Amino acid sequence: MWRIRMHGRGGQGIKTASQMLGSAGFYSGFQAQDFPLYGAERRGAPVIAFTRISKDAILERGPISSPDIILIGDETLLNDPQSAPLCGADPSTVIFVNSDRMPESLASNFSVTAVNLTDLCLQHLDNRMVYSSALSAAGARLLGIIELPDLLQAVEDELTGVSSQVLRGNLNLAREIFEIIQPAVISEKANSPLIAKSLVFPQHLPVVDGAPIILDPGNMALRKTGNWRVERPKIDYEQCNNCMICYARCPDGVIRTAPDGRPEIDYDHCKGCLICAQECPGHFINTVRETGMFP
Amino acid sequence: MKVLTGVHKKIKDLHPHEAIAPGTGLCAGCGGLEGLRMGLKELGDDFLICNAAGCFTLLSVYPFTPLKGSWLYTTMGGPVPAAQGVRDTLDIRMRYRGLEKKENLNVIVVAGDGSSNDIGFGATSAAIHRNLDFIYFCYDNEAYGNTGFQLSAASPYGSATQTTPSTDAHEAGTEINKKDLFEIWKAQKPIYLATVSPREPIDLSNKFARAKDLQGPRMFICMSPCPTGWGFEPKETQQIAKLAVDTGIFPVKEYFEGEVVHTVRPRKRLPVEKFLELQKRFRHLFEPHRQDEVIGQIQNRVDDYWRQYE
Repeated sequence: MWRIRMHGRGGQGIKTASQMLGSAGFYSGFQAQDFPLYGAERRGAPVIAFTRISKDAILERGPISSPDIILIGDETLLNDPQSAPLCGADPSTVIFVNSDRMPESLASNFSVTAVNLTDLCLQHLDNRMVYSSALSAAGARLLGIIELPDLLQAVEDELTGVSSQVLRGNLNLAREIFEIIQPAVISEKANSPLIAKSLVFPQHLPVVDGAPIILDPGNMALRKTGNWRVERPKIDYEQCNNCMICYARCPDGVIRTAPDGRPEIDYDHCKGCLICAQECPGHFINTVRETGMFP
Repeated sequence: MKVLTGVHKKIKDLHPHEAIAPGTGLCAGCGGLEGLRMGLKELGDDFLICNAAGCFTLLSVYPFTPLKGSWLYTTMGGPVPAAQGVRDTLDIRMRYRGLEKKENLNVIVVAGDGSSNDIGFGATSAAIHRNLDFIYFCYDNEAYGNTGFQLSAASPYGSATQTTPSTDAHEAGTEINKKDLFEIWKAQKPIYLATVSPREPIDLSNKFARAKDLQGPRMFICMSPCPTGWGFEPKETQQIAKLAVDTGIFPVKEYFEGEVVHTVRPRKRLPVEKFLELQKRFRHLFEPHRQDEVIGQIQNRVDDYWRQYE
């Protein structure tokens, strides 16, 4: 059995990618299973999706803890403790990163493939960043057991209802990625039996300990949503006339007035919705693509 | 016509206080969050929010909260009864148990359109009837957004939701009209009732500033463009909110002392298509073929509405 785990962000098509890969495996004559896992959060928040492909019936259920292939759709997730894309990786794990550079520290421990899917998506999909076809193509090719026509059929199946132009873009994208990437060497993992955890019996605690009471109001700021950003808004201070429209329009309230009256963006929390750039009356806020920080 | 003078005239007058800390799990570009952020700026930190299950559940996820004030999480039908309980407790403790006046809290209900129009509707009507002293903030994204965008009584005619997609048998998608919550609430004569748009922060802030000093049910309906459910880029949230006002689809108004006043009036109303064509939930009205009849009905409804006030 091959176990594939995908990491990305809500809205990037990670769930669809796992479905495409599962269907492609099925068309190539295997059994397949795919499902996503995400918390209550939505667009921009980390999403994980899983695909199992096997010659025999798949009896295993639940999240994949020791994957054969890890596909990372968003390089900014490498440092994200909530997503933890490298969790359960061992030297035999094949890792794919959507990036224009090779993460050196990662490459010394794992077999890593890095391809800039973002640029390819922008090119094929009319400037949209949806990685579903791209990531499933990368996974299918790395696996080396899936034929191109089966992959294309799966892409077409999962994208029913889109316009013919979007479908054509996705098929071309999948085809191109299939050609760029070489199949990886995937070694068979030793089958270790799963051990059940011992039962924990609940204890009665006084209300102050037992109830979910938060004693530090406003502590949400400890959670950094800055890594949700795909693009970074940058204020051109040479031109900015401190009208503060950006401050009024920011839904998350991450633009504050500096002591000298200028607007200042809190990049630790800015989610990159880019409303400020869109709304700035003089267009003095530019957008720059974010690049990840590798561990 | 009575003219109510606002306290804010320009962006720089807006209250500098931020009542919601960043870092919440809400979608990037959430229109409702912008509305609540602006509203809470005016109300200060002495509040208790009774939150109905919905998108804004994500505001406070244990062990984190973005608020300096208190937060009580309830079921979808339960925020208003919860508010009644909290209000009564505060009143009784202030009267008999020596709780000091300065410890008093603004009781605020935060609920989505599903809770407001469907599940919590009856309890809200009862609370207005009892003249409960509270503020109600309804973020209206016109469907059950948190569970994947299913039809609510606030979903407009002609929009596609998860449960009312455009099909051969039902080409228009949603075939029933949006409930007019403003008129329903108005019929019960609450002390203050207003619709607000995140695109009009000054108007919004003035309305909250006014409501703050009143006593009784103070109801707000906030237009909340939803990039995820409506299908547009997060950066377009404000543009969509603006077009909703400019096309006349979302009237920005208030009801106070028996009169309805449109506080922001579109000078020349744009055709509704301008608003519809930018959103995926209305795309079936334009592709693969144009549904002129549906678009025409939406336009007629808007025209009929404004004719009453011309």
